[in-house]
Amino acid sequence: MGQKKQRGKEGNAANYTTRNQALIRLQIKLPEFRRLCILKGIHPREPKKKVHGHNKTYYHVKDINFLLHEPLLQKSRDIKAHEKKVKKARAKLDEALADRLKANAPKYSLDHLVRERYPSFIDALRDLDDALTMLHLFATLPADSKHRIPANLVQTARRLSLEWQAYITKTHALRKAFVSVKGIYYQAEVVGQKITWIVPHALSQVLPEDVDYRVMLTFLEFYETFVEFVNFKLYHSLGLKYPPALDTKLEEVAAELAAAVSSLAGETDSPQTGGQLENGAGASGRGEEDSAEGPPEGEKLVALKEKLGVSVAAGGDANGGVEEAGPWGGGEAEEDEGEDEEDEETKACRGLFKGLFFFLAREVPHESLLFLIRAFGGSVSWEGEGAPYPESDERITHQIVDRPTQGHRFLSREYVQPQWVYDSVNNRLLLPTEDYPAGGSLPPHLSPFVDNEAEGYLPEYAEQIQRLRDAARGSLGGVLPLPGGAEEGLEEGAAAKAAAERGEDLAAAAKAAEVAKLEQEYLEDLRKEVAGVPYSATLGGGATEERDEGGAEDEADEGGVSGKVTDGARAEDDDKAMERIMMPRKTKKLYEAMQMGIAAKKAGVDSLKKKRKAAAAGKLNVVKKPRGA
Amino acid sequence: MARQGKRKAGDVREPSNGTTDPESSDEGDLLEGNASDDEGALSDGSEGGLVASSSEDEGALASEEEGSDPESDGEGESDEENEDGEIGEATEELAQAVQDYYLERDAREGEEAENGELVRGQEEVGVSGRGEEEERRGAGEERFGPHVDESDSSEDERPDRNTVGNVPLEWYKDEEHIGYTKHGKKIIKQKRKDELDKFLKQADDPKAWRTLYDEYNDEDIVLSKEEIAMIQRIRQGKIPHAEVNPHEPYVDWFEFEDKGQPLSGAPEPKRRFIPSKWEAKQVVKIVRAIRKGWISFDKKPEAPRVYLLWEDDFRTADKTANGLTYIPPPKPKLPGHEESYNPPLEYLPTEEELNSYDLMYEEDRPKYIPRKFDSLRQVPSYANFVKDKFERCLDLYLSPRIRKKRINIDPESLIPKLPKPKDLQPFPTTLYLEFLGHEGAVRTLATDPSGQWLASGSRDGTVRLWEVQTGRCRKVWSLNTPVKFLSWNPNPDRPLLAVVFGRSVLLMGSGTGNETQSEAAAGLVKLQETATGAADEGAVVRWQKSERAEGLEVVHKHDVAHVSWHHKGDYFASTSPDAVSTAVLVHQLGKQQTQNPFRKNHGRVQRVLFHPTRPFFFVATQTHVRVYNLAKQQLAKKLTAGVNQISSMAIHSGGDNLIIGSYDNKLTWFDMDLSTKPYRTLRYHDSSIEGVAFHRSYPLFASCSDDGSAHVFHGMVYSNLLENPLIVPVKILRGHKVVESEGVLDCAFHPTQPWLFTAGADKSIKLYCN
Repeated sequence: MGQKKQRGKEGNAANYTTRNQALIRLQIKLPEFRRLCILKGIHPREPKKKVHGHNKTYYHVKDINFLLHEPLLQKSRDIKAHEKKVKKARAKLDEALADRLKANAPKYSLDHLVRERYPSFIDALRDLDDALTMLHLFATLPADSKHRIPANLVQTARRLSLEWQAYITKTHALRKAFVSVKGIYYQAEVVGQKITWIVPHALSQVLPEDVDYRVMLTFLEFYETFVEFVNFKLYHSLGLKYPPALDTKLEEVAAELAAAVSSLAGETDSPQTGGQLENGAGASGRGEEDSAEGPPEGEKLVALKEKLGVSVAAGGDANGGVEEAGPWGGGEAEEDEGEDEEDEETKACRGLFKGLFFFLAREVPHESLLFLIRAFGGSVSWEGEGAPYPESDERITHQIVDRPTQGHRFLSREYVQPQWVYDSVNNRLLLPTEDYPAGGSLPPHLSPFVDNEAEGYLPEYAEQIQRLRDAARGSLGGVLPLPGGAEEGLEEGAAAKAAAERGEDLAAAAKAAEVAKLEQEYLEDLRKEVAGVPYSATLGGGATEERDEGGAEDEADEGGVSGKVTDGARAEDDDKAMERIMMPRKTKKLYEAMQMGIAAKKAGVDSLKKKRKAAAAGKLNVVKKPRGA
Repeated sequence: MARQGKRKAGDVREPSNGTTDPESSDEGDLLEGNASDDEGALSDGSEGGLVASSSEDEGALASEEEGSDPESDGEGESDEENEDGEIGEATEELAQAVQDYYLERDAREGEEAENGELVRGQEEVGVSGRGEEEERRGAGEERFGPHVDESDSSEDERPDRNTVGNVPLEWYKDEEHIGYTKHGKKIIKQKRKDELDKFLKQADDPKAWRTLYDEYNDEDIVLSKEEIAMIQRIRQGKIPHAEVNPHEPYVDWFEFEDKGQPLSGAPEPKRRFIPSKWEAKQVVKIVRAIRKGWISFDKKPEAPRVYLLWEDDFRTADKTANGLTYIPPPKPKLPGHEESYNPPLEYLPTEEELNSYDLMYEEDRPKYIPRKFDSLRQVPSYANFVKDKFERCLDLYLSPRIRKKRINIDPESLIPKLPKPKDLQPFPTTLYLEFLGHEGAVRTLATDPSGQWLASGSRDGTVRLWEVQTGRCRKVWSLNTPVKFLSWNPNPDRPLLAVVFGRSVLLMGSGTGNETQSEAAAGLVKLQETATGAADEGAVVRWQKSERAEGLEVVHKHDVAHVSWHHKGDYFASTSPDAVSTAVLVHQLGKQQTQNPFRKNHGRVQRVLFHPTRPFFFVATQTHVRVYNLAKQQLAKKLTAGVNQISSMAIHSGGDNLIIGSYDNKLTWFDMDLSTKPYRTLRYHDSSIEGVAFHRSYPLFASCSDDGSAHVFHGMVYSNLLENPLIVPVKILRGHKVVESEGVLDCAFHPTQPWLFTAGADKSIKLYCN
């Protein structure tokens, strides 16, 4: 006979403790506990039986023991003791001692926590969403003494977010971008992981008072360490130096992303003309990545690249033409050759804006567009200092403007609103620019994150885009012909011509689809004729099948006194009802709940359809900017 | 500030100058001497007075060498003139006050006041200075400062007009000048005015009351408003300066006084002049440490802040540090079209929708209301961004995380896999015949054992006999009382009907069957002498010859609800729920005897049934069914129905399975071999179940309900005990109308065919065939 089990020694009672018990065990106060929990990533758990009461927060005993052995716990005590010493010295007016103490304050680092929480890199990437959103938020916040947001944290956040964006740009890993009212959503795919983050609109942020910034700053502290290590790993995997040396000149003129990107990628938008950015400055900014310049560094990187299984072209390979120069001085050809494992998606992304030259007007969100266009292989310049090429450059194909009126218009380029870039990127397709005229009304901006099929509703513009896509795929097997995509000497009006051509293509594609449908019908008829189905039967449109199926019922109807009692719909309902009769009660409830969900979804879709119909008829009165929203 | 202070202070000093000019230096001494005494306040003023000058005065001072500055003086004057009216009344009083003050003081310091010039000066206060030119006066004001050069302040170094110094003025009494300027020029005396002039001037000049004559400098001095206020304060015995706090916290500057000498006269010890050995040792120690490299002045190279943390080649780890499974935080929902800055029009709310949101509860309201902007330029910053992220942070560290398996199941997969009704035929599917003729709701029906005839009882008080094949009404018995129930004798040789109406059970020959059968039936329904109740009145029932029809009537003491035949057709049991102890009575047709098998019933008895083959008897009360073994005369089983009120009961021909219909819309199937609990409870009717029926030979059962429908089920009972009965709903039969919330009141299967008869409240009987 086994020993009698004692109460509270096993099971939920022994495995879970309340928060207060944990505090007592750890001998710390709640703020310190909160901080530790945030840094260590410990969260409450939900025991099956809440032994100590239902309104309590429960932690797993293992979690608490885990905290108990955390070096940070002791460190925080040391820091507290040290602060007391400094305070004491100050109180005794012993400034010298206080300063000396202060200089030797105990320091701590969080790298062991990153390793602990994310034992593998994939785990780290999975949890990167929140970290990136937070960094991007703090990168836009002011260093505010009132809310105790220190400047160095903000600066680090800014640096890390730029480094991240530079990496994404370099690897063309960006997949989706969506401008919502809440901010700009980006989704990138890194090592097979989809990482989504939100960047607030580039306007000053409201700092609400009912927010505990200490909590956020604790999170930020961890996230900064975390993202820094992730960035290091990512840069390391590319064989790049970390941290990248930023181009000081560009940084000064607040084109920070450009600085980061140019430093990282060694990418020069116009190596021949040089633009305003001198080659020399670019080189200095690029630092050690330029292997062609420093032989030992180059050798190291070459070695690294070999290790990665990448064939290396000669270092002296000139970065020819407008092709972007790889980080090892190799040209485009080498990159294509090397990155065989690069998936289709990345290729599509890299090539989307290839050969296009963009120019950003000053009223469009620079950072977002710069990031987007470069991530999709385009060249971009802007109005202001440090711009790679001026507005008057003849190669510019698209000028992105958001002004209702334009001063001088270059005939050789297209003037589009920023949404064109986002929509094109999301659809991997250069959409017709006529729909996005400067100062004109825009087609709706659709979320790329919606699975339209699961949703059961496809907005009109999505249908339109789908048609365009099909047309493009059908006629050309790829991206639509671009206005002067590869050609250097772009004649005036070529863009318009190309657009017109594309329009024709679309029309042709639609016609082709129609023809195909007719052909299908004809074949069907032929088949029936061969089978000997009478024409009258075919007129019914599948009536034969129905007859086969509902034979029994028909007979029954014939036998009945009156056919009115059972009609088809009723019978169907009855069948369903009968199926449900034999369900156990729990299953029935679940089933009914599911049906309710389905019905609600259907109602939503129906309402959308109804509204769309009304809108098409011009009878829909919507409120564009509801009050209080 | 400083200037103001100076001016005030200087002004205080003036009267004393004016009055005591010959011994002004003495006066200064005197005042300083007083400082530590009771006159501290005054001395403050006078000491300050040494600093003395107003801004105008200083301006004048700058141009002093050329003489006087009329402009600046003029300004000063005009200021004062404005205030004359106010102060005018106090003229005499003030003059008196000034005099009084000095008189008082002189009396106190009598010994020091060596000459009587003070008195003389005072006399002159009243008379002198009137009618003097203002410029001179102004200059005089400036000039009087420096002659109190004992001042410890360096600020008041002002050259005097007169430089004769501290000599008796009477030396110049007979001269035309009163002294010399700095440059050695004579200062010519003013023209003396006679008393009359003085008087007139006093009368004319509004400032005369505050004009003093400075004998030393030979000029008139006009007292300013502040000076007069100060004089008034002095007179009241207050400190002249209003801003001086006489009660400053005491500072003991001379603390050491009673503590002996603070400094030592001892010679410096030698140790102060020779180097410290200990220090030398320390130095040696440090030097040694430096040499050995224990102390290094080189900064340690900092460890790299970031390094390659993950060496893995993108492999996932299967272990966490704390040994618990890692529950990743759920990712936030990705935005849909509605969150776009420029959503499609159909996603935007209409005015009605917006208004409807106001009527909703806070928690039901949509979290986000779509908005549309015409261009990206117009999109404002999102005010809740920080808050949203903060809430996310709170969720991350405060919310308990549970791993929930999201069952992404197809709802259709929840439907149990049952054989298709098509494969379970035959069963009644379609309406074949309608038996019309009753004028009231058809309450009950029964088929005769051969299946040729159908009997039905109605609320119109008639019992009708129908031919099943044709639907022809063969016979009508009019009983004039609503018929509640009827049942055929299961023995085909006894074509008898038991009809329940009111308190009676009527047994009558149905007139079907062949002649011998009819005769046998007629013989059975003849009253015998042995019949219960024929002799004694106290019997539970009375057998009697019926008056309404040709047959026997068993009259109960309470309303009878139901009657049930034994399969042999000799015994039948009646139920009268209202009777408490005689609710169940068993009648023997052959002997026309009645017995009460139960002394006591547990609850209101709803139905009774005989087991089709074995000596078992089922008594259904409202919630339970009790099974009695008639052979052993004991309770065999008690079935718990789990319903509120049993309405009907039917038994499978095998005898092991029982179905129960209830007024709370449930049908329960008991497999008595399995359990006393229901094998299945089905709830599919929308209204109370009125009747249930088993088919005698086909695996079918049916239920009918007040919702106007009858459900037909395939209810297969296997002879293999290991296999549970199979229940499959096969058909829903609709057709009866619901009349006054009554639908189908009874149902019965054809004994040999898979046909179902239903009796409706809409006065019709329907036959459904396969």
